[in-house]
Amino acid sequence: MSELLLTLAVKSVLVVSVCMLMVAYLTLAERKILGFIQLRYGPNRVGYWGLLQPIADGIKAFLKEELTPANADRKVFLLAPIISIAAPMLLLVVIPFGDTVTLFGREFTLYLSNPDIGILFVLGISTLGSYGGVLGGWASGNKYGYIGGVRSTAMMVSYELSMAFAVICVVLLSNSLSLVDIVHSQAGVWNIFKAPVAFLIFLISGLAELNRTPFDMPEAEAELCCGYNVEYSSMKFALFFFGEYTHLFILGCLTTTLFLGGWHGPLLPGIIWFFIKTFAVIFLCIWQRATFPRLRWDFVMKLEWKFLLPLAIVNVLATGFIVAIF
Amino acid sequence: MLESMLLYLAAALTLVTSVMVAVTRNTVHSALWMVASCFLLAVVFLFLRLQFMAALQVIIYAGAVMMFIIFAIMMLNLRVNPGRIQLRSTKTAGLVLVLFLFPALLLLLGMGRGIAALQGQVSLRALEQFGEVPLLANVMFSDYLLPFELVSILLTVGVIGAVALAKKRKD
Repeated sequence: MSELLLTLAVKSVLVVSVCMLMVAYLTLAERKILGFIQLRYGPNRVGYWGLLQPIADGIKAFLKEELTPANADRKVFLLAPIISIAAPMLLLVVIPFGDTVTLFGREFTLYLSNPDIGILFVLGISTLGSYGGVLGGWASGNKYGYIGGVRSTAMMVSYELSMAFAVICVVLLSNSLSLVDIVHSQAGVWNIFKAPVAFLIFLISGLAELNRTPFDMPEAEAELCCGYNVEYSSMKFALFFFGEYTHLFILGCLTTTLFLGGWHGPLLPGIIWFFIKTFAVIFLCIWQRATFPRLRWDFVMKLEWKFLLPLAIVNVLATGFIVAIF
Repeated sequence: MLESMLLYLAAALTLVTSVMVAVTRNTVHSALWMVASCFLLAVVFLFLRLQFMAALQVIIYAGAVMMFIIFAIMMLNLRVNPGRIQLRSTKTAGLVLVLFLFPALLLLLGMGRGIAALQGQVSLRALEQFGEVPLLANVMFSDYLLPFELVSILLTVGVIGAVALAKKRKD
């Protein structure tokens, strides 16, 4: 019993610290990749090739002054950044980074937990996480923040649907809700080849849930001067920022797990394959940010309700039909 | 033992948060208490070994439905409920409801007769034998197929009604 607890504690600390370090360096990666695409250097002053930049940013965030606007709702104002970082960190629990490894004559699983309802847990917790942005915008008592919050709710309610339908396709193909079983079922053919449409729908709605650039309505800096986080400063802002990048990392992990065969791959060990695929997805997300301009608000809604959602429903019906026949 | 204690704790917290929904003045705070209440109800489901129900409770109620309610509150800008809540007219109705519903619920629980009144197809043994999702699916899509379809028709009617109300008239 105590040995089990010890293993679990060590694994939790390891997963959280390694993943959070990766997330911290994602901020640098994004700025470097965007710089490369736009023919500029990106951060290159702190450390060699700007490698200490995330640490400098963290120290800066700690040392800045904390401000709470006079007409803010203090409790909710404090609660919002906590929600937006806690939810994606909670999702690290169910991500299967690899299969089992044998160390010191004992078998260890490379995931913290494998609940039977894995994928539903992910959907549930990520919806709860989106309350962070909504409440942050509402509680700051600022009109831009307010509009950002309202947009955030509308985006979340709409894009959840198509994302859930894309996930249902994967569940139909793998015949299980557990993330580990979904990876096991892709040992032969990856789901992206079986369900390419579901993959595209999942990625697009994932980007919308992340508030990344073609869909970053809640924080469009040109119209809302940063939207829901406009009144936040210091560590509270850093928590929002960090939460968003953790969410990006989770999206990469989930896409890998659901569609790209998880840890399966030739030659290299599973966990390395997992991170190669994850970072490929994350690179794609950053790349498209530099490629597509921001959509107008009504186009974002039209895209979901008039295109993605009907397509996702037809896709589920077709997949169900094919699964039932073969 | 520990598990049932945690179950009672979660149930008690659900009740407390539900009361907070009713007594909080600020509309958004009230909605937040309701999110907490839905979430805690999911925890109660977890301790009753209904993982699937717990997940659906969080996704649908704590996530989607409450997000819609908060969206509506924010769109209508109901920041703080002005003045005292007008309870007088609803007080008697509420009292009558409580006086009748609470004993009815207790009767349903079968006071003194154990929980025999509640024993349906979803029992602990059936859960272990078939698994939760197949069990629920079997019950829902065979015995209760007609009510299930009727509910979906009801929901569709609601959606069509909302669209019809929101549509601009051309005159």
